[in-house]
Amino acid sequence: MAASAVAAPTRNEVLWLYRSLLRVARQFCDYNIREYTKRRTIDAFRHNQKLTDSSKVAAAFADGKAQLEVAKRQCIVYSLYAPKVKSVMDVKRSA
Amino acid sequence: MKGIKVAGRPLYLDMQATSPVDPRVLDAMLPFYVSRYGNPHSRTHLYGWESEMAVEAARSQVAALIGASLKEIIFTSGATESNNISVKGVMHFYKEKRRHVITTQTEHKCVLDSCRHLQQEGFEVTYLPVGSDGIIDLERLRREIRPDTGLVSVMTVNNEIGVIQPMEEIGRICKEFSVPFHTDAAQALGKIPIDVEKWNVSLMSLSGHKVYGPKGVGALYMRRRPRIRVEPQMNGGGQERGIRSGTVPTPLVVGMGAACEVAMKEMEYDDKRITALQERLLNGIREKLEGVVVNGSVERRYAGNLNLSFAYVEGESLLMGLKEVAVSSGSACTSASLEPSYVLRALGVDEDMAHTSIRYGIGRFTTEEEIDRAVELTVKQVEKLREMSPLYEMVKEGIDIKQIHWAQH
Repeated sequence: MAASAVAAPTRNEVLWLYRSLLRVARQFCDYNIREYTKRRTIDAFRHNQKLTDSSKVAAAFADGKAQLEVAKRQCIVYSLYAPKVKSVMDVKRSA
Repeated sequence: MKGIKVAGRPLYLDMQATSPVDPRVLDAMLPFYVSRYGNPHSRTHLYGWESEMAVEAARSQVAALIGASLKEIIFTSGATESNNISVKGVMHFYKEKRRHVITTQTEHKCVLDSCRHLQQEGFEVTYLPVGSDGIIDLERLRREIRPDTGLVSVMTVNNEIGVIQPMEEIGRICKEFSVPFHTDAAQALGKIPIDVEKWNVSLMSLSGHKVYGPKGVGALYMRRRPRIRVEPQMNGGGQERGIRSGTVPTPLVVGMGAACEVAMKEMEYDDKRITALQERLLNGIREKLEGVVVNGSVERRYAGNLNLSFAYVEGESLLMGLKEVAVSSGSACTSASLEPSYVLRALGVDEDMAHTSIRYGIGRFTTEEEIDRAVELTVKQVEKLREMSPLYEMVKEGIDIKQIHWAQH
């Protein structure tokens, strides 16, 4: 665990994490959580773009992976208990 | 709901009443609702140990957010209980020598009610007035402190108007006179930086569900050096160092801890966004409407709370008209009554303006689109109501409505 945390992720791995987070974000049925997860992902990656220290990049990557697992689980939980009526913000958009 | 037809669930702008649980918080809580159900006070098996470890981890997460040590955190059922323990507990403990409490007129109901209770027991209470900006006068506070003053209780961020009191200065005055200082920081936790050392607070009430945590849990910070002591309200198994007996609810406490940890990481990001959204909301409304007043100080306020009054409009009609926006006129506790808020009255807001207040609560999950929609709907509704209002017509004709003598009815 400690050894893998030090090695900085490759460019492909980072892109994979970014795309995976956005994909899960889109699947949230709750309007606010969906928008937040998208926004937070984009802003966090933009913020961490400037990171050069490989241990910091690795830490940010590990954190992102942990967040992805949380998002995947919560996406399911939210879908299990989704209210029948959608948010007014979702209703108008589709109309 | 009966009689109300809406196209969808309203957009939520009532973050001061309660906030949604952050998915990261729920994710931390769920394991303790399924397999890890042990009583954290059980010392004889793994179930107890793992729960106790989780509770202690949560305690340090809460402590870290306010700059305290984990031994100074007591878990309670919420800020109301913490306020009750603080106000009544301190005064009961030191009742031989200390007979006087100082608080403000704009405190939350649970502090005011606890004070009222103390008055019935023969204690004296001073309710400090506030200026039109909602902030207390520090010189007045200094003057009101007596040799037998046992507690000064001033809330950090007001729940109705979002005004931030000068905590450091109040703390300094309390230290000067060695009076314990209690603050209700339920609305401040995770939103503005809190430092119990810098503010010199002896007791601080915290709530879980105002920081995207679960409802039914809160915490009380109790200073260890110099030690502040309270008389417990609940007697029993002696949990939480005897201050709050009763089994600690592991899932809720874990949730509150997780909420504090997320808040610590996200405070700067959230604050930047919420400030921008508040400006967008205020500018959007002000661009299209005249006679919009911000209640409370504009500079010294938490951005997530925007309390506005709309002149010549009846508040209840406006609230009813804003079906697609979940907002309130003030505190959720008093939202059932048609009386104008006592907080706005303490500010000296005119009766008519106090009747038309709307509190917009912006939070972590609020979007730009929601703000734009709220602006659009508010403007539409206010314009519609003003069109019907004879008062507004008179004002437009140049009649000063303050000069009108209304016949008694």
